[in-house]
Amino acid sequence: MAKVPNLVIRMARYILLRVADAIPTLWLVLTLVFIAMRILPGDPALAALGDSALPEQLAEFRERMGLNVPLWQQYLQFLGGVLTLDFGRSLLTNTPVLTLIAKNLPYTIELTVAAMLMGIVAGIPLGVLAGTNRNKGPDTGVRIFSLIGYAIPDFFLGAILLITFSLNLGWFPISGAGTDLMSRLHHLFLPALTLAFVKAAFLGRLTRTSLLEVLGKEYVRTARAKGAKESRVIYRHGLRNALLPISTGLGLSLLSTLSGSVAVELVFNRPGIGRLLIDAIAQRDYALIQGGVLVFAGFVVIINLMMDLVYVVVDPRVRVN
Amino acid sequence: MALTRRNFLELAAATTALSAVNIGAAQAQDVNTLRMGIAASGPRHSDPNLTTQGSDNWATEQIYEQLVRPDDGRFALKPEEYLPTLATEWTQSDDAKSWTFKLRQGVQFHRGYGEMTSEDVVFSFERAIKEGTNRTILSNIESVTAKGPYEVAITLKQPDVNLLGTSIFNNNTSIVSKKAHAKIGAEAFATDAVGTGPYELVQFDPGFGMRLKRHEGYWSNKAKIANVECVYIADTTARTLALLSGNVDMIEAVRAPGWIDSMLQRDPTLKIDMTSPGSFNTLHVNLTRAPFDNLKVRQALMHAIDRPGVAQALAPMGGTMAGLQPDFFPAGYKTQDLPPDLQYPYDPKKAKALLAEAGFPSGLTFEALCSQREDYSSTMLIVQEQLRLAGFNMNLKMMDHTAYHAANRSDQNTLAMHSSSYPPIPTQIYFQQLSKASEAKSDGKGGGNYSHYGVAMPGIDDKLSAALQATDYETYLKLCKEIELQVLRDLPLIGLSTLGFTAVRSARVDLGYPVQSGYARWRFHRATKTA
Repeated sequence: MAKVPNLVIRMARYILLRVADAIPTLWLVLTLVFIAMRILPGDPALAALGDSALPEQLAEFRERMGLNVPLWQQYLQFLGGVLTLDFGRSLLTNTPVLTLIAKNLPYTIELTVAAMLMGIVAGIPLGVLAGTNRNKGPDTGVRIFSLIGYAIPDFFLGAILLITFSLNLGWFPISGAGTDLMSRLHHLFLPALTLAFVKAAFLGRLTRTSLLEVLGKEYVRTARAKGAKESRVIYRHGLRNALLPISTGLGLSLLSTLSGSVAVELVFNRPGIGRLLIDAIAQRDYALIQGGVLVFAGFVVIINLMMDLVYVVVDPRVRVN
Repeated sequence: MALTRRNFLELAAATTALSAVNIGAAQAQDVNTLRMGIAASGPRHSDPNLTTQGSDNWATEQIYEQLVRPDDGRFALKPEEYLPTLATEWTQSDDAKSWTFKLRQGVQFHRGYGEMTSEDVVFSFERAIKEGTNRTILSNIESVTAKGPYEVAITLKQPDVNLLGTSIFNNNTSIVSKKAHAKIGAEAFATDAVGTGPYELVQFDPGFGMRLKRHEGYWSNKAKIANVECVYIADTTARTLALLSGNVDMIEAVRAPGWIDSMLQRDPTLKIDMTSPGSFNTLHVNLTRAPFDNLKVRQALMHAIDRPGVAQALAPMGGTMAGLQPDFFPAGYKTQDLPPDLQYPYDPKKAKALLAEAGFPSGLTFEALCSQREDYSSTMLIVQEQLRLAGFNMNLKMMDHTAYHAANRSDQNTLAMHSSSYPPIPTQIYFQQLSKASEAKSDGKGGGNYSHYGVAMPGIDDKLSAALQATDYETYLKLCKEIELQVLRDLPLIGLSTLGFTAVRSARVDLGYPVQSGYARWRFHRATKTA
């Protein structure tokens, strides 16, 4: 029988431990959201039935939706539901929360992934360009670009792109997410570009800083002294060793892209978890808010775990320890 | 010829740009589809029994019909103005408690669910009485029975001379197919109900909206445009851009000062459709909070608020209210027809004098809650400024719309603005906003009477009860007009202005009729669209 390599066992154990660590975090997030929603002023029955609803209609709604039972009972029901993957039904549409999340999640994921890819494809080469041309024209250009990227809010940039490329030039659709593959890509481009702009600015800046630090190291000087080609020095010795801080930055960037998708989904009228959550909060749709937040919290946990695993791959020192 | 990487990228970019332009143009030029931009995040229901989000009614208005309806684009101001729709004729007993409706023969339900008969009508009414969102209004119905396949009898517990307006032309009592309900199932019916209207539901998509197509078996003239798409675009900017780019043909407007002007500046060819009165914007004066329990303070408020000025600031959507009913509604008064002491012209000096008489010679400072929603906040900011000139310092605490209404319901407000739409059935606003039964309670389980009128001081409950018992329309109207005058004397509720429901459409779309009054949705079956 083939022996399972020691490293694989250690990795599996490490992942299991990290997942176990995440359980209390998720429980805490869910509890906080549960409490926060109940503290927040506003009546879900009134939000669902409208401000002209009569008292008896409101009372019946509360009873039907289980909002009239004591809070501790609602909490236990909610936790019990989470354990069985039953997040309840939306108070507004009576649709299972899981169904609503399943319908909207793919749109948020495709937006996040597309924005990240565009951000990486633009940001890292820009960072390399700036880092290898320190204090020259390209470096100044990249730094100005990064400054603008940091300063401009997502929703504002989205509106500008929408007005320019959709309204005035008519190149892209104004709203929605499309149906078939080509149409979906067509609808995805501008929202993803909006989020990617900020990502590229962040990653460009980060790559530049990391690369400059690495390029000043002695082993880089040694490589140059040995007559290595400049491209080999930059990519093999420089960029590769600069990847660790960049990978940390990528994780943070991915999380901020997820949260940034909320505003972008609203501006471009795209379906997605962000838009779903904003509407649920405005309407005090407790079940949907709890389900949506759990998804976001789950993403945070998964992304953090992925980043830890990336460290293991990128940095041999972590692997050894 | 070899294709270099540069050639390939150039070709790909050009193809993408060209296809993008073509797709945009195709959307704008499709004359067979009318796309309506709805001001909400997504549809909640398509069953007329369940809709609580007003915007969903843009679709239900096309899909369903009632036994009677007013003409397109207006309210029926009197019972005789209702038009035969799924009923061809009707009679009422002398005591206004027994009503009989003869049904139109040959009316077909969508998707092949067969002919509408009295069985469907009885089913629709019983379902509405049991689980409809307006079942409180419908609770006066004792029974609905079939008298043969094409006749239905409705028996009431109390007389209702306005039955056509209160219960027959009502979203909940839209006629749905009994057979479809049994086949589709109650739960799925919430988003897949089957009606008889000029359009039928094709797709209910929570992320997009609702797609409808022409009902080819419609009993009257078939709809001229083949498809209707109700596209949900909650964000104001995105919705506006969707109209300006030709992505949609019509949108629900933003009901804020200056919005229509800004749209017309951008595109002067746009067409504006607007109902009058639209919403009734009222101001509840909490009679349990001193010093608003003092009539002189309330009179000072009336003279301090320039109500025509409020309406003017909201122009062209705003309208003046002399009392609680618009002046062209049956129980409404024109200002000049009111007794002089109940006209309350704008007079800050008189307001200051009244305030001084009430014991506040140096003015009065108080707090009031206000919703962040644009129609609420813009109106209350105007009122705040007007009150300041008369010595009232109203500190507004802004909050989100849901929290605001919960606060009002739990009696936390002093001057509470409320915006609601009412048909020309005067007793509805009196019942919901002034009756003792609707008093707001501190535990949030009360109703929409935030002033506590009828509890903190004698109210209009006796007159309201008498009006609801009236067996002839003239007596009913007389009592409602008396209520109007009493409210103007006691001032628990101030009519600030009306605010028309507005939609903006491309000049390519002609609705086929003028929009004058009515609920916040209109039918598209007469509409045409040119390229």
